[in-house]
Amino acid sequence: MPKTIDSFRFISGITKRMIKSWIGMEKPRPTPWTPLTRPLSECTVALISSAGIALKTDQPFDQDGERQNPWWGDPTHRILPKTATEKDVRLYHLHIDPSHAEQDLNCLFPLQRLQELENSGRIGRMSPRHYSIMGYILKPEKLLQETVPLLIRNLKEDMVDVVVLVPA
Amino acid sequence: MPDLTASVSVPRIAAIEYPLGRTLGQPGDSAGQMAVLEATLQALETIQTPGEIIQLPFEWPEAPKDVHSHSKIDPPIGRYLARNPWFLPRLLTRDVPG
Repeated sequence: MPKTIDSFRFISGITKRMIKSWIGMEKPRPTPWTPLTRPLSECTVALISSAGIALKTDQPFDQDGERQNPWWGDPTHRILPKTATEKDVRLYHLHIDPSHAEQDLNCLFPLQRLQELENSGRIGRMSPRHYSIMGYILKPEKLLQETVPLLIRNLKEDMVDVVVLVPA
Repeated sequence: MPDLTASVSVPRIAAIEYPLGRTLGQPGDSAGQMAVLEATLQALETIQTPGEIIQLPFEWPEAPKDVHSHSKIDPPIGRYLARNPWFLPRLLTRDVPG
């Protein structure tokens, strides 16, 4: 029998109740669709994470802002070069345990695995730029109106065909 | 949490039952991470219907009671609600004060 995923297997307590409530609030809407028009072996692929990953040399996501107003989360994004490893980044997310990704970034942002898929020819190439946002955002207006258009512009500049959104 | 992702009508979902913070697998497990990434990209090739969900077959090796995926310190909203529990319904409905 095929596996049926339990979304809440590792989620407990209030978080589970909150997520279920939010799911119930969403209204049906049209599903966007762009067909895959060329083989993956010819596609440029980018990753987007919601783990709040930033280069150590870049501005951190604003955690003090969230500490001062717990209803707020930093809605901006950070750019990560395709060569970034755990040595180059920090995770700024007050809701998940960052210790695993700080040992090996690939456990939630698989840049090295993607490089291996480029080397083997399974994908055409990696995008030179990949991205992170920080996923605790209760009011998504700024994210949707300001950050997402910037991400789309960058993805188009880099001729990206495929984006893998990796939830943290 | 694929149920949450599906609720906002995304075109394709590769659903996995792994804990937060380790969506691709354990640190250091390159082969396991690669298997998840390859299966995800394969789902992109397989899915032909908008909104279709592919359930990835991977099993997390630890029981939920042994998995610690949330931050070790309660996030600010958790501490705030401990002091102001009457605000909980507003979090559940994303009715953000101010």
